[in-house]
Amino acid sequence: MSLLFLSFGFGLITASVLALAAVGLSLQFGVTNYINFAYGEFLTIGAYLAWTLNHWLHVNVWLSMVIATLLTGVFGVVTNQFLLRPFSKKGKPLLFLLIVTFGLSLFLSNLVLAIWGPDFVNLDVPRQQPFSVGPMLFTANQLAIIAIAVVVMLALHLLLTRTEIGKAMRAMSDSVDLAQVSGIDTDRITSFTWLVSGCLAGLAGIVLAINLTSFQPAFGGEFLFVIFAAVILGGVGSPYGAILGALVIGLATEMSGVFLDSAYKNDVAFALLVLMLLLRPQGLIRMAGKAA
Amino acid sequence: MGPIAYYLATLVVYFFIFAILTWGLNIQFGSAGILNFTYITFFAIGAYFTGVAMMARPTTDSNMRYILGLNWPFIPSLLLGALAAGLLGLLVGLVALRRLRSDYLAIVTVSVGAIVYDFVNVNTSAFNGGDGIAGVPYPFNDQLNLDPNTYIFFYVGLTGFVMLVLGVVAFRLYKSPLGRTLRAIREDSDVAAAFGKDTYRFRMIAMVIGCLYAGIAGGLLIGFISALNPGGWTAGETFIIWAALLVGGRGNNWGALLGAFLVPVLFVEATRFLPEIPGHPVLIAAIRNMIVGGLLIGVLWFRPEGILPERKARFPFVGSTQPRKDAQLDS
Repeated sequence: MSLLFLSFGFGLITASVLALAAVGLSLQFGVTNYINFAYGEFLTIGAYLAWTLNHWLHVNVWLSMVIATLLTGVFGVVTNQFLLRPFSKKGKPLLFLLIVTFGLSLFLSNLVLAIWGPDFVNLDVPRQQPFSVGPMLFTANQLAIIAIAVVVMLALHLLLTRTEIGKAMRAMSDSVDLAQVSGIDTDRITSFTWLVSGCLAGLAGIVLAINLTSFQPAFGGEFLFVIFAAVILGGVGSPYGAILGALVIGLATEMSGVFLDSAYKNDVAFALLVLMLLLRPQGLIRMAGKAA
Repeated sequence: MGPIAYYLATLVVYFFIFAILTWGLNIQFGSAGILNFTYITFFAIGAYFTGVAMMARPTTDSNMRYILGLNWPFIPSLLLGALAAGLLGLLVGLVALRRLRSDYLAIVTVSVGAIVYDFVNVNTSAFNGGDGIAGVPYPFNDQLNLDPNTYIFFYVGLTGFVMLVLGVVAFRLYKSPLGRTLRAIREDSDVAAAFGKDTYRFRMIAMVIGCLYAGIAGGLLIGFISALNPGGWTAGETFIIWAALLVGGRGNNWGALLGAFLVPVLFVEATRFLPEIPGHPVLIAAIRNMIVGGLLIGVLWFRPEGILPERKARFPFVGSTQPRKDAQLDS
């Protein structure tokens, strides 16, 4: 029983990391209507930027994380501006954009490999003893990860419901054409979406790196299909669905460790993904026009 | 028999194997528009099953662990490998081909690739984990008893024969009613469905045939190099086949053949001779993969139809007394 509570705690941490990543992917998918297969590499880039600022430029580790998060957001904007937007303006089929992001993922993962090398590195956050919160065990870092996720999710909720730009994002997600005829500058909103999506990816990469304690160039890409599972489970294009999906996947993968060899925890995420696609492909929270 | 001749024969075998792979991907993507982002996984499954079917049952003091160990001859082993790859393709298709957008299939293939890769690595009793299987017997050499320098030319003939057969099948498939239906579905699946075509079934057929091609290519490879481990079928390898197809010309079997020569054989082999950078052992491989990724994007931007574009079908107007030669039915 105590093991179950313990793994529930780990599940909350994984869910927090996953929620940051999944919401970023889902927001961008909703607005631009194509999946970014290089998203895993965005996570990797976020973590390596934070590491570089800290180790090569001797910026304070926490400040490094903030700057790296923003830089990854800028990277998302640049990627859209100079690669993906030109492709989508060319009016090529959707398949092309998917292959472009797929090619980009190979390019970026190997760029990281070429710059930083294949070895494991770790962010210099203080190592702490875990302490118990009720029946669960957390380190202060892990509690910080959960707190960051909760604060960011609340901020996103306010952005999407209370601000002009957030409402415009939701409108574009429903229908780009209708958003355009009602006077929304779709190019500007798309750029802003890539900024938010990139920031979330960078932040997710950083907290994933903290949670794993060490990382190497492939770590973001390896996490990608778990993010996919959360996004599809929640309903593609719906940020609230992505949070829900992250919670389910995070808890399910960690708590499966009680019953299964923990080497198989990714398979649990995969099984949920397959089950969802067979039973309810539109996801828990349905967005019109995104699944079929 | 000089080392140059031996090396060239090796390249020819690789070219034949990559030609089969690129044709298979062409049937999936070029004809049916299926985005299989883990094509190399089907190749690996084919190779593993061919390998463990040919190998003898592992002894207790053996340092390798693997399933089956049937001691079968090459032909049935190859068929088993192809079948295993096709079956995996069928399972993926069952989940993702039914009434979902094409992105979902791509997501499922990426996830399947990650899961199979994980499984083979973690579950060492299937295909000996990360160390991989080794010592697969050379096909037919128990009867031929050739020395390696002569055997390689036999193998050029063997892969050449299989490649020729699969090539004829690929070309005929393209022209067949099945090929036409697949292209119609690729261009507009709603229209094809309105004409009474079961788009799910047809796309599934293309998915499975493409995976069978990948499985056969895998079986031929493991017969040649007699070993395989997970390092030999990472995501990077999938990109190379994709780049071959897009550079050569998707939807055109001659283009796929040309691409199989240009990207996996010419380009990848050429980079093999670049010097290692001291202290950075992965740099050359990383740069090579960056170029492949860039190539994929660059081709789609500058020449999306590839070097040899797909030829659009031309139809003279039916019923007109003077058939117009220039009439064509573009998508």
